[in-house]
Amino acid sequence: MKRIPQPPVNPALRDVEHHDFWPGFIAVLIGGVLAFGGARHLTGVDTVGGSTASEIQLVKAFSSGGVQYASQIAPPPPPKLEDPAAEAEALDRWAKQQANATPPSWKIRVDTDAKTSCPT
Amino acid sequence: MECPVPNCQQREPVAPGWNLSRLRPWLQTGFLGIWLAPVGRWLHGIPGCVFHCYSCPLSSFACPVGVAANYAALLPAAFEVPYLLIGLLLVVGAVSGSLVCGWACPFGFLQDLLGKIPPRKISLPGWVGYTRYVVLVGLVLLLPMILGFKGIPYENQVVSICRLCPAGALEAGVPYSVQSVLAGKGWIMSWFKTGILLSFIAAALFIHRPWCRIFCPLGGFLALFNRFSLFHLRFNPQQCVECNLCRSRCSMGVKVDQAVNVTGCIRCLECTTCGALEPAFALPKKDSAPSKETPA
Repeated sequence: MKRIPQPPVNPALRDVEHHDFWPGFIAVLIGGVLAFGGARHLTGVDTVGGSTASEIQLVKAFSSGGVQYASQIAPPPPPKLEDPAAEAEALDRWAKQQANATPPSWKIRVDTDAKTSCPT
Repeated sequence: MECPVPNCQQREPVAPGWNLSRLRPWLQTGFLGIWLAPVGRWLHGIPGCVFHCYSCPLSSFACPVGVAANYAALLPAAFEVPYLLIGLLLVVGAVSGSLVCGWACPFGFLQDLLGKIPPRKISLPGWVGYTRYVVLVGLVLLLPMILGFKGIPYENQVVSICRLCPAGALEAGVPYSVQSVLAGKGWIMSWFKTGILLSFIAAALFIHRPWCRIFCPLGGFLALFNRFSLFHLRFNPQQCVECNLCRSRCSMGVKVDQAVNVTGCIRCLECTTCGALEPAFALPKKDSAPSKETPA
């Protein structure tokens, strides 16, 4: 193999780069506790079904387009019927419903059944 | 440039280490079977520890970078700490540092394969590795959060790591676009993202592992653990004959002759061929660290 030029080194002066056990072990321990806790952790986000989403469900929702924002929920479309009289009545009812509609109490929620293949 | 070390081409290692360059592609292929396991998406709730798009039809785990960006974008609506993600990356990083980059990452494997195509590779200055932290802080954490505060959900953010990611373009954009073309609906991946993918492939022909060296936020994060991870590389001065083999075998441009457990290293272990650098695992007892005696 062709060797690339490099400055001369003095092996005797070079740090052996030995690592201590404890810093790495403590980091592993903290990571293990966080991972175990995280796997069982219930988030503050609700699911569409009304229960509380676990962290695993939330992560899964990220990859399947399952995170719903209240601001993104579109109101139902106005009704369209064949009979003009019935349509006018339905439109009136729809307009009243929209006027009386209260904004949802949640900001985001998780749809655990979402299956969007590529959310972005 | 004339090498200042006399006769370095003729110097041979005292006791050569394992030549792992033949073993590594097989292990990388084996790990590919894990990340691309066609087992459905039931493991998508668990972040993986490698750079791999979760929108890929065959992906088994969630992409840790995408998950982190989603959490950042979620912050204005719900303060959630990604305990599972942080915990898993902490365990992987503290045990092995960036070993997964060199041995398990599917995107790194792809770049290794592209790197085998003949054009001579351009060497990059070491400081380019710091741009990975700019990507990590800027694109993965800050930008999604800022746009999230503006009320834009992550999926609708026009600029995000997922929309710029060549791994996403290759593993999700290409399969879905091919599917769409076969269904007669045309190429659905944006031309901008297609351009990113083509640019990346072109770059990989001339630079060894361009994504890992310049942009990868996950590799940058895991490399932070290289200085204290349990698995590490140790220098044995008794074995060093200044043959230049360690630095010559390093394709990541690390100055292996000065320090090896640094953030630029992906722990491919190619440098251990010379025998003076050896893989080691930190143990609780006072182990037999090589002394700094002058070699005979």
